[in-house]
Amino acid sequence: MTSSSSPSTHVASRARQYVMVFVALAVITAIEIAMTQTSIPASLANVFFLAFSLAKATLVATFFMHLRDDSRIYTAIFLLPVVLVLAFSTLMLMSAGGH
Amino acid sequence: MTSHSITHEDEFRAGRELSLDHRKLGMWLFLASEVMFFGGLIGTFLHYKATVPSPESAELDTVLVGINTFILVTSSLMVVLGLDSIRRGNRRGLLTYLGLTALLGAVFLGGQGYEFVSLYGHGITLTSSVFGSSFFTLTGFHGLHVLIGVAWALLTLGKALRGKYSAEDHVGVEAFGLYWHFVDIVWIVLFTIIYLI
Amino acid sequence: MTSESIAAKPVPAWRRYFGWSTDHKVIGLQYLVTSFFFFLVGGAMAGMIRTQLLAPDSTLVSAEAYNRLTTNHGSVMLFLWILPVLAGLGNYLIPLQIGARDMAFPRLNALSFWLLVPSGLLMLASFFVGAAEAGWTAYVPLSVAGPDGQTLWAISVVLLGTSSMMGSINFVTTIFTMRTAGMTFWRMPLFTWSMLATSILVLTATPVLTAGLVLIAMDRLVGTLFFSVSAGGDPILWQNLFWFYSHPAVYIMVLPAMGAISEIFPVFSRKPVFGYKMIAFSSLAISLLGLTVWAHHMFTSGMDPRLRVPYMISTMIIAVPTGVKIFSWLATIWGGKLRLDTPMLFALGFISMFLIGGITGVFLAAIPIDLHVHDTYFVVAHLHFVLFGGSVSGAYAALYYWYPKITGRRLDERLGKVHFAANFIGTNLAYLPMFLAGLLGMPRRVVNYDPRFTELNQLASLGAFLLAASVLPFLYNVIVSWVSGPKAGDNPWQAKTLEWKTTSPPPAHNFDMPPVVTEGPYDYGEAAQGSLTPSPSAAGD
Repeated sequence: MTSSSSPSTHVASRARQYVMVFVALAVITAIEIAMTQTSIPASLANVFFLAFSLAKATLVATFFMHLRDDSRIYTAIFLLPVVLVLAFSTLMLMSAGGH
Repeated sequence: MTSHSITHEDEFRAGRELSLDHRKLGMWLFLASEVMFFGGLIGTFLHYKATVPSPESAELDTVLVGINTFILVTSSLMVVLGLDSIRRGNRRGLLTYLGLTALLGAVFLGGQGYEFVSLYGHGITLTSSVFGSSFFTLTGFHGLHVLIGVAWALLTLGKALRGKYSAEDHVGVEAFGLYWHFVDIVWIVLFTIIYLI
Repeated sequence: MTSESIAAKPVPAWRRYFGWSTDHKVIGLQYLVTSFFFFLVGGAMAGMIRTQLLAPDSTLVSAEAYNRLTTNHGSVMLFLWILPVLAGLGNYLIPLQIGARDMAFPRLNALSFWLLVPSGLLMLASFFVGAAEAGWTAYVPLSVAGPDGQTLWAISVVLLGTSSMMGSINFVTTIFTMRTAGMTFWRMPLFTWSMLATSILVLTATPVLTAGLVLIAMDRLVGTLFFSVSAGGDPILWQNLFWFYSHPAVYIMVLPAMGAISEIFPVFSRKPVFGYKMIAFSSLAISLLGLTVWAHHMFTSGMDPRLRVPYMISTMIIAVPTGVKIFSWLATIWGGKLRLDTPMLFALGFISMFLIGGITGVFLAAIPIDLHVHDTYFVVAHLHFVLFGGSVSGAYAALYYWYPKITGRRLDERLGKVHFAANFIGTNLAYLPMFLAGLLGMPRRVVNYDPRFTELNQLASLGAFLLAASVLPFLYNVIVSWVSGPKAGDNPWQAKTLEWKTTSPPPAHNFDMPPVVTEGPYDYGEAAQGSLTPSPSAAGD
């Protein structure tokens, strides 16, 4: 291990990538807010909202949380509960009127 | 059968061979459990959203909370820029971005507080209806996680001030970052299912 | 190459076991002793229940007290005995089995034990303020309306769940990152594999129960309306949240026991494990499938009828990996040179009794049958065969097997065999009659019953009292042997997993030098000799 304490200029900054991801997140959020102010039918709008939500979450997980660069094991650990929650939530919606 | 030739200092070698840091792995496992915890509360919210009419939900202020969402997303950017800084040995950058993270987190909490007070003003409370119970519990637990995150950001800031992190060793910053981004992701989902859909 | 030549650190003074220690061996033992205490508490409650049920119209215990007994018997046995005793075994053994010095997060490990203490105290304290009486399943709205002890019960379970999750974070991280050189995943002992599979369930399922308990606590403490039927609250929501955890929980409670007997069979038949990879994969399959079956507990609840058949199918599918394991164990011991020492007896008992429990589980999975026997003694019999005949047998097998390693002493074999005989006969006598009672229509959780069930209940109570008595030779054996039993040496069973390659008990740092592994953990007997290069070790066959 090196003992250098001066800034390691040979490690490239990824700030530009992070800012681009942030801009995407911001733009999607702006679109979402704008959509709520229009009269697009709910069933159509909801599809977009769910897709946008998935896209934003994926961007944060992939780039900000570095799932893309790190071991696939971290991804598997995160993905399993996400899949379970999606399934559980779907079932809880289906149980509407169960009693 | 077995022979002895490795010293104890190498005890995490198996992890390194899998490109795993044990502290990051521990954090991801913790986050997996947190996904499930919020999943239980989210399942509850969605179930009641589908089965119990909630005219009160018209009082939700989507634009205000939308701006708040933007603030939380910005704070995630601050965290990852801070990590980027310390990866290159830039301690001052780390300090700045951690400070901004804590600040934006606090602003988010302020925004949530304003929304809560406004809803209470309209008679929508934790105990006024099933909607009130599930809304405030879900967003309340998220807010609690943000609050813990702000405290953690300040703790990390304190450690950074004392020179605990360097370009070679900053796993603590990464671990904090993972928690913060997770809290951001939860909010992304909550914003959608509570305010948008 | 034994370690006798290297001075091992002395056994820690007994005082260490009562305080904060980050040594996984101390923590493991703290778990084992604490959980066994709660086994006795839960057993005492069972004794009262079975005494009450000796006669169909007994007034020994009031109806209200009876509900509190059944509720807390179940809760104590599940949350404060089985879960922690298996976690304790995992704690003690995982670092040793993978050749590590300790767990990845030793302080978190200590904290996970010390959460068990307030959890247990709260469960006991609940009796002073009106113990929970809504069943261990705490169905709403009854549990929201019940006495103050129900709140303490909820907090107790949340603490226990937190302890459990912390433990599993440690187990998974340790297994992934701290295996010694040469210890690939496919050379890991099956007990360690089982703890890995168990930990997946702990981390994914427990938090959902925590969420549900938070909702009950909030309804009780601050007046939220989650389960207020008049406000639109849904009792079935609680059942979903509860069983999402509590079904996987039964696999959390049995997988480590299965892992323990997977260790015991090769050692006591002097044969390699048959189907090592299949057993490992089956543990993972049971774990993942276990997350998909929970609503088979809800067939009569009024749940969405469209969902019942899918749950029946997923439940029946779980029988497959379980069957794979049973056949693998049988093939392991088939033709082996069996040593019927106590650990092996309990392991064999596990197979027969778990088989009865498992098969009756498949019966229950069939919706038409379940509609008739749900909430009858058929279910009580099924669950006790899998949990008592299964998990507890496995726990006893593990305790007899690893006792020499933990204490450095041998247990008395004759007392062990007496314990086994009483336990085996007691289990069958206590629970077989309950299948019949349930089929004949006796409901569960009833303080009095129709006189036609009297003989069956008396037989069951007799079996229960025999089980109570059976604990005595075990306790005596454990205590006296610890003080004056024969010294065990490093490897009294001539086993090949890494924990047996260090002293009994191990030094604080487990191994004087980290071992390097060059072969699998179960290469016993002639079948394996041809594949081994001559080794200098004298561990023997």
